[in-house]
Amino acid sequence: MLEMELYSDVIKLISDIRHSKLHNSYDIAIHTEKLIEKLISEGKWNSAEDLMTLIKLRITRFANALPQEATSVNIMRHILKIIRDEYDSGFKNKGEGQQSAHHLGSTTMDDCEDYSKVLPSLKSSLLDNLAEYKVELESSADNIAAQALEHIHANEIILTVGKSSTVEKFLKYAAKSRKFQVVVVEAAPRFLGHLMASNLAKNNIETTVIPDSAVFAMMSRVNKVIIGTHTVLANGGLRAESGVHMVALAAKHYSIPIMVLAHMYKLSPMHLCSSEQDAFNICASPADVLPYSSGPLLDKVHVYNPVFDYVPPELVTLFISHQGGNAPSYVYRLLSELYHPDDQEL
Amino acid sequence: MSQKLDKSVAQKEVVQAVVIAEHFGNEFMPITDDTPLTLLPLLNVPLLEYTLEFLSLGGIEETFLFCCSNVVMIKQHINSSIEKSAGWSLTMKVHVIVSETCRSFGDCIRDLDAKALIRGDFVLLEPGIVGNIKLLPIIKKHNETCNTDKGAAMTLILQEAGLGQRGRCSFEEVLMVATPNNRVLLHQKLGTSKKAKIELPLEILMDNASVNIYHNLKDTHISICSPNVLSLFSDNFDFQTKDDFVRGLLINEEILGSTIYWHLIKGNQYGAAVTNWRMYQSVSRDILHRWLYPLVPDMGISSQQRSYIHLQNNVYRSKDVHLTQSNSLIEDVIIGGGSSVGDKTRISRSIIGESVKIGDNVIIEDSFVFSNTVIGDNSVIQHSIIGQKCVLETGCIVTKASVIGKGVVLPENSIIENYLIRSHSSKTGVASNKLAKNAYHIKPEESVESDAEDDGLHRKLSRLYMPDEAEPSDDESVKSSESEDNLSYTISPVPDDTNLFLTEVVDSLTRGFEDKLQCDNLILEINSSRYAYNVSVKEVNFNVIKAILMLPFQLYLGQPYLPSLRPLLDYFSPILKNYIRNISAMVDCLQAIEDVAANNNELNECVSAVLNWLYNKDHLSEDVILNWFSGIDKNTRFYARVEPFTNWLQQAEEASSSEED
Repeated sequence: MLEMELYSDVIKLISDIRHSKLHNSYDIAIHTEKLIEKLISEGKWNSAEDLMTLIKLRITRFANALPQEATSVNIMRHILKIIRDEYDSGFKNKGEGQQSAHHLGSTTMDDCEDYSKVLPSLKSSLLDNLAEYKVELESSADNIAAQALEHIHANEIILTVGKSSTVEKFLKYAAKSRKFQVVVVEAAPRFLGHLMASNLAKNNIETTVIPDSAVFAMMSRVNKVIIGTHTVLANGGLRAESGVHMVALAAKHYSIPIMVLAHMYKLSPMHLCSSEQDAFNICASPADVLPYSSGPLLDKVHVYNPVFDYVPPELVTLFISHQGGNAPSYVYRLLSELYHPDDQEL
Repeated sequence: MSQKLDKSVAQKEVVQAVVIAEHFGNEFMPITDDTPLTLLPLLNVPLLEYTLEFLSLGGIEETFLFCCSNVVMIKQHINSSIEKSAGWSLTMKVHVIVSETCRSFGDCIRDLDAKALIRGDFVLLEPGIVGNIKLLPIIKKHNETCNTDKGAAMTLILQEAGLGQRGRCSFEEVLMVATPNNRVLLHQKLGTSKKAKIELPLEILMDNASVNIYHNLKDTHISICSPNVLSLFSDNFDFQTKDDFVRGLLINEEILGSTIYWHLIKGNQYGAAVTNWRMYQSVSRDILHRWLYPLVPDMGISSQQRSYIHLQNNVYRSKDVHLTQSNSLIEDVIIGGGSSVGDKTRISRSIIGESVKIGDNVIIEDSFVFSNTVIGDNSVIQHSIIGQKCVLETGCIVTKASVIGKGVVLPENSIIENYLIRSHSSKTGVASNKLAKNAYHIKPEESVESDAEDDGLHRKLSRLYMPDEAEPSDDESVKSSESEDNLSYTISPVPDDTNLFLTEVVDSLTRGFEDKLQCDNLILEINSSRYAYNVSVKEVNFNVIKAILMLPFQLYLGQPYLPSLRPLLDYFSPILKNYIRNISAMVDCLQAIEDVAANNNELNECVSAVLNWLYNKDHLSEDVILNWFSGIDKNTRFYARVEPFTNWLQQAEEASSSEED
């Protein structure tokens, strides 16, 4: 019972995700942010260290229960970084007044920092900061969409895979002032591409649906590939919907640029080490591939229905976040801005 | 946001589910000696966790768990799960209902009715359910059906499954006839009857413009019920199982005024019940093959902790398993935490529990090894179940659907084939042979009510599946001889209502004769059935005579026909008098005699005696008899039998007329 009370917020979040009450990463992000905001304003903590321990416990808890959902963990990890920064600047302002450029460099080097001192102003400054962060999260999709006109030009043919709400917004934004064609890969066996295509077609975008097998044939006519992703890995690779690797390889063959729309919270300090890495991928029910009514055949075969694909960084041309475009090789830099080095491994 | 949620919850009724935790059988002996079926580990997680998590993910908010035995264990388990904040405990309330007097599924439902806990439509689960079905849309559909058809009592949930899947239990396969709007007309479990043929009542085809016949369905044992299901169970004390209920409702559809609908689950939804070892094996394999996603071992079933890694070939390995060789686990294997596997050991298609110590050179195939068991070097385990805390010393061989109970110690080099073994001698008087200090062999109880062959087949079908064993096709001969027997009873195709009328009359007469009822009352009864089945006068006469003539077969089967018929004829004389009033009725009577005699040799032999009796009692006139006789085919044996009587009649007539002259 004690455990339940301690973690009730994060357990509720896990249960909501499992019951698919929250299905897209944006909802999960907003819920996680609210959860931590509540923890800061109502939770029992005195020093920054206490608070960080509370959050870290939640991160481990969540990562253990739902290892595939990196979003929530990333948000909490970023908030840890905010707490560290606020704590630092709080003491800097009190003690030494002005910060020198030299000092800025040295704080990051200082690993054995002590966070146990009580800083009364911490709570209010954190809440201010989180409010800002929340606005950033909420406007992230619009900010990404606003860059659409820089990347989509008139009469281009854009190829996308499956369904992504960020990509949908991006394309709809561009369609307000430009005319272009979209080719949607249906992404078997879940066929979310069909939903995407119908959403785009309702917005008067010229849309074509193609099966996954036609990607290579279609690629030569395409000007750009624009996709969303589930997670961006530390090396700039992607954990994306299954089928994306194939699209990326086809694009590479024809030297077509691939743009990946990614919110900052999708950036994860995770590396892929082996194809059997625990919880990197997950297999869904084989029903989509081979129906249960197939009878005796089912006993003779193993059916795999993986949810994710790994796309290596050399196949990605550009990441577009709300701050603008970045090359995959720059992801490590973004990561060090987002998360404190001590929090990357938890 | 939360306020909005609260409001919507308040407006909407809480969706309830009823889980019957007791299976009222001994299929799982001796494993279920000390663990209830609901706590049987399925892939190292108690079965109950799958059921509850399924209900929670399916959108159920309140569950009643109905227990009859091992209540303390089940309650303990529920409480510890809630403490560990299992997935379902957050969104669903679970009430344990105890009723130790219940002896069947039906009793449980009747008890539930008495307790008046159910407020609206509810989901009814038979014991041992696993699934990942989204229940809310089906409940909604059931609601809509109830709005159009007030009598809708139940929606059965079935899954499409190809026939002949290896290791599937044939008891789970269903033949169903339904109307296009999913109303069930006929529901039959294929495995339960030995008949090779299936009888479809003609009225199903006559009353409905179009019907769909399915035979590739698997019962999920999950159903959506209207509240009146409870009262129907209470009103009909003979309903013991859900199958009884479905059958009873379909037969007496008009009387009970209730109908049954069905729903086919599609896409990646799956449902099944663990009803015997074969289903246990089949469900285990389906979970290993991820049909139950997201309830798969590597995602944690209801716990927040995930302890398994999913590897190639559907191997699930706990993070702290000690393997000497990485290639010991071949395919479809799950191995629990704290276990160790020795050198050159091969494990395939098996479930290994937690903290199991497996020695070197061991072969385990298609088997289940529960937790804390020790398996010695050079052992072989195939198609068997090894309970908790067993010790198999070096070189044991356990094969052919053996089941070894908790705590058994097998000495070195034991060979166990198709045995049930438990660690203590039985208290209940079941015969047991001592094999070793902690190993007693149980002989399966000889079933009293059903014949041994039937029971053997039943047991064969419900134990673990072995591929090298021929499926029970060897009783093909039994089936065919039986169908021949059936043929002698099938009479020329008569419209169904008339047929029913005939059985009704036979029943009335049998009862009347046994209880010595007044013939007037019987006539009244027959007349009322006549109106109920809308039968013409001609058919009434025909069938009443036929019923009387067939009565000896009902009452005194195997005894000489004529002596048993005589008292009956005497007794029913007033009835005969009532129905055989005019010439056309006499013709009907004679046709009935011909009809019965054609099918039954006994009557054929004494037909002239019967005719003689009827003639003497003035039921038949000689003109009609002679007239009828002239129409009979001369080549039949029947003709030969009747001929002496008619000859005598003609002679008598001539004699009397000459006398008159």
